[in-house]
Amino acid sequence: MEVKNKNLPDQNGFYGKYGGKFVPETLMYALEQLEETYNKLKDNKDFKDQFYKDLSEFVGRPSPLYFAERLSKHYGTGSIWLKREDLNHTGAHKINNTIGQILLAKHMGKKRIIAETGAGQHGVATATVAARLGLECHIYMGAEDVIRQSLNVYRIKLLGAKVHSVDSGSATLKDALNEALRDWVTNVDDTYYIIGSVTGPHPYPMIVRDFNSVVGEELINQSSELFNAMPDAIVACVGGGSNAMGVFYPFININQTRLIGVEAGGKGVETGEHAAPLNDGEPGVLHGALSYLMQDDKGQVKETKSVSAGLDYPGVGPEHSWLKDSGRAEYVAVSDEDALRAFHEVSEFEGIIPALETAHAFAYLDTLMKEFDSSANVVVNVSGRGDKDINTVAEIDGIKV
Amino acid sequence: MNRLSKKLDELKKQNKKALVAYLVAGDPDLDSTLDIMHMFVKSGVDVIEVGVPFTDPIAEGPIIQRAHDRAITKKTSLEDIFKLITKFRLKDDETPIVLMGYLNAFIFFRHLIEENKNNSVDSILVVDIPGELNIADYGIKNENINTISLISPTTKADRIKSIANNSSGFIYYVTLRGVTGSSNLNVEEISQNIKEIKKYAKVPTLAGFGIKSIEDAKLLSSHADGIIIGSSIVKMIEDSSDSKEFAKIGEYLSDIKKAIS
Ligand SMILES: Cc1ncc(COP(=O)(O)O)c(C=O)c1O
Repeated sequence: MEVKNKNLPDQNGFYGKYGGKFVPETLMYALEQLEETYNKLKDNKDFKDQFYKDLSEFVGRPSPLYFAERLSKHYGTGSIWLKREDLNHTGAHKINNTIGQILLAKHMGKKRIIAETGAGQHGVATATVAARLGLECHIYMGAEDVIRQSLNVYRIKLLGAKVHSVDSGSATLKDALNEALRDWVTNVDDTYYIIGSVTGPHPYPMIVRDFNSVVGEELINQSSELFNAMPDAIVACVGGGSNAMGVFYPFININQTRLIGVEAGGKGVETGEHAAPLNDGEPGVLHGALSYLMQDDKGQVKETKSVSAGLDYPGVGPEHSWLKDSGRAEYVAVSDEDALRAFHEVSEFEGIIPALETAHAFAYLDTLMKEFDSSANVVVNVSGRGDKDINTVAEIDGIKV
Repeated sequence: MNRLSKKLDELKKQNKKALVAYLVAGDPDLDSTLDIMHMFVKSGVDVIEVGVPFTDPIAEGPIIQRAHDRAITKKTSLEDIFKLITKFRLKDDETPIVLMGYLNAFIFFRHLIEENKNNSVDSILVVDIPGELNIADYGIKNENINTISLISPTTKADRIKSIANNSSGFIYYVTLRGVTGSSNLNVEEISQNIKEIKKYAKVPTLAGFGIKSIEDAKLLSSHADGIIIGSSIVKMIEDSSDSKEFAKIGEYLSDIKKAIS
């Protein structure tokens, strides 16, 4: 199939058949306003200058492209390069999106900011930009994640935001999103909802992708500079899919670069206990969009299982569903066990402790590097650093910190 | 003409207001749901709105969320709900039934809606789609089922017009910014918006979402063609889910019915 999909979504917010705006009527006006504002600002020079200035001076962009020498030697079949989103201020790619969306919120005159978070990285990134502008900020987080990402919970509080622990459903990211949407329905007039991934109703998947695309754009230049070619493959983990979309999008028409998304395989895709809708799901509607979704035989959304809070989500951004069906990107899954092994390996080989989410992308190198010879250049998008996961990993390893 | 349109026509001719009562199918179990539905009718309810449980009901407040959870624990599916309604129809072939739920379940069981055995379901209300769209836009075709669109306080004039043009059952005016069961009714705004809707609507406009007390019911029925009561009924079902003594709900609804007559 010929892929000419860089100009998606269409005007109704669809990527092929995926995406759309499936929300209660109360939110329709807010989405229209947001879309209008974004379309007006996205090519505006002042807006872009401000966005890139903040990314440079506050976030520390561009993030380096780093040659992982020992890891490359370990596999012996090519050069592995790390796109260092873990070095961003607040420690993950999530800040790119919040820097952009808070500018939209400010432009729209909103006084109150809300967000959902799984791993807590998006919560921290949102609380950070809200603090900078002195805006009231509320973060919804599943009760289970509040426990396993307690370090980030404290960071969010230090930044002056309020954390709302969500007990309903599976008490993870999906339920935090439900609760954030309910807040938004209630306070829609003065509240801006900063969604943290390429999920949700149109125009969010597009906006979050565009703000994260700075990663892929930098990578194009850095690849030319450092190895004088385009990468043979880019590997990124996929929860909602924002770090992957941000690095994939500028490469969509660069056909020699394989785009590989790694989902959370939990206990193994074959066990059904995972968070890998692109590997083991069917199209369905959740949180405002039609996309691949983990559902049971009654059309209910299934509970997910992953050691990584940021990937523990039954849905995925609609553009990934489209990239999967069109064949432009490949989607695989990696188990908890393999991700944990990679977490340790990368820490020891490279002196970089990756986030558990990112560890999934690293774990897939075991399979992928066998397909290459020594001339290959493979980029891993290091979506975040692992400080937040120290407690989780130590507990699994039976160590008390 | 299906039961819903017929009923609403009748009420209009008699200059009466419609009372719509909501429950979640399978809460606390399907036998109870069947009993309560018949009791609704005895208490003067004109239309029954049957909630289809979903794991992620984003428009519901805590009371109705818990009801969805209880029904899902019992594994209640849309398939079971069609069976329940078929059973209900054995004794009652008059009372209109509206299914209210989230798009995913309706798409998943599309064939059941298209088949709709004996036309036992009269109408469908999908909570999570824009007002001007209906199930046919998502490939679910059944001309005997009419669709109910939501209009909310944030819906702007141009869209009110297109939504009003598109509704075939009634227009459901969401009386507040918020989830079901909230309590911040702004009567001034409600009255103005319903007036605006009625300029374009070819079908009756009913009001729902924050109506609890007899006073709310009385007040809102003076502006709308009828009212929808949900969370306060579901709360009573919750409180009696062990004892299964639901008679109080009947008394409550009879009082409401009197108040709006
Ligand atoms: C470090 C890191 N990587 C990846 C993710 C997954 O999100 P996404 O798929 O949107 O990039 C998260 C989410 O919390 C994260 O914190």
